Amino acid sequence: MSIRFILCFNKQGVVRLVRWYTANESGRETQEFIAQIYRLISSRDHKHQSNFVEFSDVTKLIYKRYAGLYFVMGVDMRDEEPIYLSHIHLFVEVLDNFFGNVCELDIVFNFYKVYMVLDEMFLAGEIQEVSKDVLVEKLHILDKLE
Amino acid sequence: MSISNSNNLPTAEAVRQRLRPFGIFFEKSLKDLIKGIRSHNETPESLHEFLTKELAQCRKEANSPDINLKTNAVLKLSYLEMYGFDMSWCNFHILEVMSSETLQNKRVGYLAASQSFHRDPDILVLMTNLLKKDLKYTNKDDMVKVGIALNAISTITITQSLARDIVDDLFSMLNSSHAYIRKKTVTALFKVFLQYPEALRDNFDKFTMKLQDDDISVLSATVSVICELSKQNPWPFVALSPLLYDLLLTIDNNWIIIRLLKLFTNLSQVEPKLKYKLLPKIIELMDSTMATSVLYEAVNCIVKGSMLLDDDYETATKCLECLDKFCQSQDPNLRFISCNLFYKIGIINSQFVADYDDLILKLISDVDISIRSEALELLKGIVNDDNLKLVVSTLLRQFVNEEVVVLNNNNNRRNNSKREIPILIPNSYKIKMVKTVIELCSIDNYNNISDFEWFNALLVDLSLVSQDLLEARDLLGDLIGEQLKSIMIKVPDVRNLTMMSIIKILSMDAVELRLPTVLKECIWSLGEYSSLIENGDIMIKLLIEKSTKFNIETKIILITAILKLLSTWCNGDNAQVDAVEEIINIIIEFIETLTYNSSFEIQERAIEANEFLKLIKESLDEPADNGENNNFGGLPMLLTDILPSFYNGYELRPIAQGTQTQLQQNLAQEYLETPFLNDEDWNNIMKQYNIDQDAVSDTSIDESDIDETYRDKSFHDDISSSSSDENELGSDYDVFDKDKKERKQEQLSNPFYLTDNTVKHNNEERDVFSNADGNEHVNEQMNMVKVKNSISPEIPTVEMFSHDAAATKDKKKKMHKHKTKAKKVKVLTDEVFVQPGLSEFRQNVRKSSNPSSIKVKGGNAIHLQTKSKLGNFDFSKDEINDQKAIHDDELELDKIRQKFQAQTLNQPQISSDNNGNDDNDEEVVIIKKKRKKGKGKHKKKKHSKKEDTEFLEPQHE
Repeated sequence: MSIRFILCFNKQGVVRLVRWYTANESGRETQEFIAQIYRLISSRDHKHQSNFVEFSDVTKLIYKRYAGLYFVMGVDMRDEEPIYLSHIHLFVEVLDNFFGNVCELDIVFNFYKVYMVLDEMFLAGEIQEVSKDVLVEKLHILDKLE
Repeated sequence: MSISNSNNLPTAEAVRQRLRPFGIFFEKSLKDLIKGIRSHNETPESLHEFLTKELAQCRKEANSPDINLKTNAVLKLSYLEMYGFDMSWCNFHILEVMSSETLQNKRVGYLAASQSFHRDPDILVLMTNLLKKDLKYTNKDDMVKVGIALNAISTITITQSLARDIVDDLFSMLNSSHAYIRKKTVTALFKVFLQYPEALRDNFDKFTMKLQDDDISVLSATVSVICELSKQNPWPFVALSPLLYDLLLTIDNNWIIIRLLKLFTNLSQVEPKLKYKLLPKIIELMDSTMATSVLYEAVNCIVKGSMLLDDDYETATKCLECLDKFCQSQDPNLRFISCNLFYKIGIINSQFVADYDDLILKLISDVDISIRSEALELLKGIVNDDNLKLVVSTLLRQFVNEEVVVLNNNNNRRNNSKREIPILIPNSYKIKMVKTVIELCSIDNYNNISDFEWFNALLVDLSLVSQDLLEARDLLGDLIGEQLKSIMIKVPDVRNLTMMSIIKILSMDAVELRLPTVLKECIWSLGEYSSLIENGDIMIKLLIEKSTKFNIETKIILITAILKLLSTWCNGDNAQVDAVEEIINIIIEFIETLTYNSSFEIQERAIEANEFLKLIKESLDEPADNGENNNFGGLPMLLTDILPSFYNGYELRPIAQGTQTQLQQNLAQEYLETPFLNDEDWNNIMKQYNIDQDAVSDTSIDESDIDETYRDKSFHDDISSSSSDENELGSDYDVFDKDKKERKQEQLSNPFYLTDNTVKHNNEERDVFSNADGNEHVNEQMNMVKVKNSISPEIPTVEMFSHDAAATKDKKKKMHKHKTKAKKVKVLTDEVFVQPGLSEFRQNVRKSSNPSSIKVKGGNAIHLQTKSKLGNFDFSKDEINDQKAIHDDELELDKIRQKFQAQTLNQPQISSDNNGNDDNDEEVVIIKKKRKKGKGKHKKKKHSKKEDTEFLEPQHE
């Protein structure tokens, strides 16, 4: 799995979204694991440091902050960083389009919809749709079903 | 499901039903829960209380027969799961919700399943039929349903048996008329293959056919999946290369191109032939593309796909030019990854990056510390004797200078105007820096160092800065000590300089506490090269004074070092009998304190030394009446002859690692059966001994192997270049010192610092360093056998301490340095005894220390999931006995059914018992325990239930 997990938390470290694509990293101490990631990322200098940081022997983190929210991907060490940064950006763009000027509250109150967006974009740790138009159209169909 | 689609007008109930899970709801809805959490956020206690209440409520709702209530509870629980509340206790309820007929309920169920089922693979057995049902596409509305089911398969960690059960359904769906379903099926199959690789083996063509799918999303998904699979095992996919190559030529979607490049990286690692066809195309791509990401991936593919040969300068230049541009970019991300690739190219052939020293020097001063950290590793590729000093001084400056970044219009220029942000340099980076500096300097047996005076000063400075790096100072102390010892042995021409550095380090404030590990090697060197010290008596006193806080290893060395110092000093020309007697008394007094030391080694050495010193003392006390010792100022033979003979037998020479082991092996083989000395041997040994006395060369060592390398530098060049460097460095050091001083001052005023009362700085010592040139002091040759001096007879001894004791107390040491007469700096190389076994050994050592050589096993075996049980899956293996497997499955299914029945029977009771019980988490743990016990043990089931209720009872009290 190239993407091992996708995580979203705010500046205070409150988790807003988490999806594991590998079993071994979502073991018993899930919360401690997330807290560790939060500490690592929030301690970094976002103006001058890169958006990549090695996390463990097998995982590196690729993250980006949008307003008060961090979007983090845990990615296989062997993969290349920039493409996943684009994934994150695309994800946020799609969310923005879907909710219309998305903010943290949208994500909090509609967390199940965010998961829906996530599942349309990423499956099994792979990106499965890169066209924003296709995604947004599909999502609106799915959304109407509710 | 939307209203316009239905033929009949919906009833009010239907509308309410439809809106229930996410919208209007009579029960406490998700929104209330979220708002509740936000409003109870003031203290952790109130939040905890609120959540406990909510969880109890959810538990009640989950047990309700009303499917909508249940759904709502499951939705809320999936939300709480993000906060770390385990919801695997309600897996069975989730399953119920998943099997609901209404789509929105089903969706909530599947969402919860992907969040929760990874904790309990057993539940998947019960999910199989449901999945099979949901994967069936019968009418138009089923698209969403099928999609949801496929999502779940892709997200949940599926088991092998589940994979086996659904694989046929999935393959039939690959031919669906909907691209949406085909796309998701491809990804779902990926998960199946990981657990059940047989499926890929048997349907390889059917699956890879999707590379020719008309729909771009399906194609993209297939490329992604194959890329991932090839990461685990590239071999089966090499055959697809022509097809993939055509894709690369025709496709214009950058996302897919990037994925293809990554795929080719994996394939090319195991199939070098691919390179010939791919490389020209990739270079063409680099020329035509506008996208930075594609450009980067192309370079990455060339480098990581082993397409760059170590003599392919053309390609290397092409890649490096591209990376160079990236490294100059304002985007730290681009700089970071490019720097990384730069390094990888440097490893292939360090000549490639040799021209980019300017860039690398720039990168080690980058604003982003992690880029600096990467660049540090690049330095190995670019240092040479010209730029070493510059590199090192750039690094050292980072230790002391407060760096700031100035923000102004995205322009990261230093200094002046606008907003300044200090760059914080973490200790981990500083540690890496010290290590790198030491490594750089010692490359190729100090090949890059022309000026050992500078290197000595550097080591002293490093030992200063290392004292502040608490977490690694032991390691760094070791490293610095090693270096000091190493140049002491290997560079005879600067031994006196090195000795001064060692004494400088020894006299640092509280060095025994702040950098204890450096002392061991320093004190060893003091002893071994004690002939360089004029007044050993003062040195001995000083060492004894300091020794109380030495660690065990240092004390072990100290005992011998003191004896060596004593031996050398007594036989020098300054020692008077009464002074000797005094110093021996001091030593005995000191050593006696060690004879009861808890360390066995110290104790043993101390006792040995003690006994010997007592003998000396006795013989000193005897009246000198036998006339033997006239020549030696009345000193007894024990001191003049016997003691030195302990230590002065041979000149130490550096020997390659592993030599001793090798020699010992040979000893065992060759000498065990031969008799001890015959006459001839004896004569040989005597002859050899005499030659050793002359100490020109050692006949026991093959002549060709002891060739010491003399690096003939044209010394004049050196002087001119180094003097200018020195000036530059000198100013650096001044800054450095000043800063250091300020820092110490700061530390003093800071109550959190452990105080060292006297803020002393080594400014004076540095002054000594620069003033030292004027005075010359040539010590007379020792009249005892001095093998050392015969190797480098021009070496003068240095008068280290002034005879004035008060001055010593002030730690103001007056040093007289002899101007080095030598015109070249000679560095001894490690001596190697060429023997077949040994060279192999050395090669092995090298091999094992080279991490970049990753061997990929060939063969056709598909092992995709290295972590799973299928890691060693063999292509040729016989079919698994399916009948038996199915039978086993049924048994398993029965067991789990029973288990869940028991659980659901238990559930209401537990939840009602636990209303208002604070500790829900505890309870979950208990339920889990029960499950494990229940697994496969029907007889024990009732018993374990009892245990559980017993377990629960104390909670109510």
